[in-house]
Amino acid sequence: MNTKLKVSEISKIYPGCIANDKVSLEFGSGKIYALLGENGAGKSTLVKILSGVVKPDEGEVFLNDESIKLNSPLDAKKNNIGMVFQHFNLFETLSVFENLSIDIDKKDEELRALVNDILKKYNFKIDLDIPVLNLSAGQKQKVEIIRCLIRNPKVLIMDEPTSVLTEQETDDLFISLKQFSKDGILIIYITHKLKEVLSLCDEVAVMRKGKVVSVSNTIDEKIESLANKMVGENLNTIKKKINNFKKSEEILKISNLNFTSDDPYETNLNNLNLSLKKGECLGIAGISGNGQNELFQILSGEIITEGTSIMFRNKEIGKLNPKERREYLMAFSPEDRISQAAVPELKIYENVALNNFKSSNFFEKGLVNEKKIKEHSKKILSNFSVNTDNVELKSQFLSGGNLQKLIIGRELITSPELLVCFNPTWGLDVGAINYIHETLIQINEQGKSSILISTDNDELLKLSDRICVIYKGKLSKIMNADTVSAEKLGILMGGGSID
Amino acid sequence: MSFDLNFIGILIGAIMASSVPLILAASGELITERSGVLNLGVEGMMIIGAISGFALMVVTDNLFFAVVGSMLSGLIISLIFGLLTQSLLTNHVATGLALTIFGIGMSAMIGKNFVGIPGKEFPLLFVNLKESIPFLGPVFFGHSIILYFAFGLPFFTNYFLKKTKTGLIIRAVGDSPTSASNQGINVTLVRYSCILYGGAMCGLAGAYLSLIYTPQWIENMTGGRGWIALALVVFATWSPIKVLIGALIFGGITILQLHMQAVGLRIPVQLLSALPYIMTIIVLVVISRDSRKIKLNTPTSLGQIFYKEK
Repeated sequence: MNTKLKVSEISKIYPGCIANDKVSLEFGSGKIYALLGENGAGKSTLVKILSGVVKPDEGEVFLNDESIKLNSPLDAKKNNIGMVFQHFNLFETLSVFENLSIDIDKKDEELRALVNDILKKYNFKIDLDIPVLNLSAGQKQKVEIIRCLIRNPKVLIMDEPTSVLTEQETDDLFISLKQFSKDGILIIYITHKLKEVLSLCDEVAVMRKGKVVSVSNTIDEKIESLANKMVGENLNTIKKKINNFKKSEEILKISNLNFTSDDPYETNLNNLNLSLKKGECLGIAGISGNGQNELFQILSGEIITEGTSIMFRNKEIGKLNPKERREYLMAFSPEDRISQAAVPELKIYENVALNNFKSSNFFEKGLVNEKKIKEHSKKILSNFSVNTDNVELKSQFLSGGNLQKLIIGRELITSPELLVCFNPTWGLDVGAINYIHETLIQINEQGKSSILISTDNDELLKLSDRICVIYKGKLSKIMNADTVSAEKLGILMGGGSID
Repeated sequence: MSFDLNFIGILIGAIMASSVPLILAASGELITERSGVLNLGVEGMMIIGAISGFALMVVTDNLFFAVVGSMLSGLIISLIFGLLTQSLLTNHVATGLALTIFGIGMSAMIGKNFVGIPGKEFPLLFVNLKESIPFLGPVFFGHSIILYFAFGLPFFTNYFLKKTKTGLIIRAVGDSPTSASNQGINVTLVRYSCILYGGAMCGLAGAYLSLIYTPQWIENMTGGRGWIALALVVFATWSPIKVLIGALIFGGITILQLHMQAVGLRIPVQLLSALPYIMTIIVLVVISRDSRKIKLNTPTSLGQIFYKEK
């Protein structure tokens, strides 16, 4: 059963952006194909076209030399094209089985038998009768994969599947994918992670700015060659100097942090203790949903917990709200740029004014001092190389990278002693990531401290002085970063233990 | 003794009758909301159902046409809501409020010529059984067919949502319209159907008031029952059975406090009149305390506009 899939001259134009520019690619079963590119390179658009979610403006798709019409997701299903999206398409409040049965014309008993066969064959362990919101990200992904497998797919498309997985879960996924490939399923693997391309895929197509810039066998490629094709320029790598903190003073000490929530979507925190020295960066690794959100909100003062002691610069601040904590020179950069860190409908200077201090005099006698805020905002835009000087621009028109620069700039312009940031480079392109990383290293060099909560292990290993892992609301032992490897982190992130 | 028991039976029968419009409207709205659509126009759709049912009864002299017509008119007015919110992507809350205001005004205008006209007697079922069996007779017999339908409806709705494919699809759309759309489900069609069904049930609830409960046309005769039905759905945490319990408590205390007023208890009338609202909320809050279940029953996308990628 050989499958050939061909996309020919596909174009898709959005207002102000050419997402796909005459993309032509060929795939055949028995191999795993990588589609590599930065955010905004057009990979996701191409994949949405293949799965029938988006219609192309021009071009055709051929399956086994026959032209197929993909006007809706149903058409993709009819043609046995299965798709696992980066953001899961699951119904959180429905049970696993209900999620699987929703669009399939089979009797419940029949479907259950089929699903159990798949579970056994690929050694998946999932309870079919619990609501999806109780599953881990890795399990949710397996549900998505099973949903494709019950339709006997010829083509399986995986869109950035490892962004939410641990190292172990990633290994498991790769084993399954290789097994599917052996069973004759054509696999297209979308990613921006270079290592994965080299370890998993047979062929790689690189996309940049909507165009396919190279197609090659992965044997002939190295990390550097792929990176340069992907970005289109040579990147300089940054490295952090190793500091000695033994002598410097302690700036933050948290003891007995406990948090219990009634909300089934939230994670309870269990007896967290940590301390931080001046000029130090503490990295907190973990798979998302293990309590990072709650920990961040407790650090920022959005959640006040009973019985917790937070000593910051020798003052007890555990009962203070976020504004009061900022007055004590703490700064926060939340994970969700759009809804937590900034208000997208407000102009840049209005977003800047949200961080208002007693000393900043943004407001006088209850009136807004617009001139002062705008001057202050201009300073942030130029100091943190945000790609605009128009402070009247609505924040929603900034790209992710520029918005993050604005947020970090807003926090840092008051020279805080501690910056707590949560996934600061999530979803950004390589250039913006580099800039944010340089900035974070800079503040440590100036003797300021930072806590970096992140799900990106490479980032953590690059920036942290000490590092620990949060798993199911508990912190691992805090280790010196130079004694930690990505493998070690992976084991801890999956709930394992190391000596 | 047998007289007392019979009186309690009649009282329970009256309570059941008074809760029918709430059960019908709330069950309809429950389906609408489970698909993720928040239609605040329940009161408006009910009153349109009430006047069109009564007007059709007067004009055609046929109760069957009147009942079917009231459902159709509820359906048509909810279609306006559907067009606005699903096709033109307007805000659910604002559109629903406008629908209620429109319904009240429209019904008053049509109803001008129907004030003071006596209603027609609606056929009641098993009347001889009602009189021959003490206590149980007046509880279970001698009601209109719509009452029996209303009391079956929450159980049917519960079964429909939990056990049928269509029910599963409605819950899925309410959970995540984007995921549903990516699975090839026609979200707009599902939501339209749920809106129309809700409209028809609200129309029927209105007709029950003007044709059976108080068979005449009075301006504003729904008297806020639509709002109570809306609140019931939320406080019952989108569970049809709890809607039934809530409607019965509300109807029960409304009737009981009327009797208490008549007996002349030395409690302020205002407090007694407020009692049904307070008690219904307290009881529903108490029986719906489990925050896990609330999460699982709440339609996550409630009130969100769904826009399909092109």
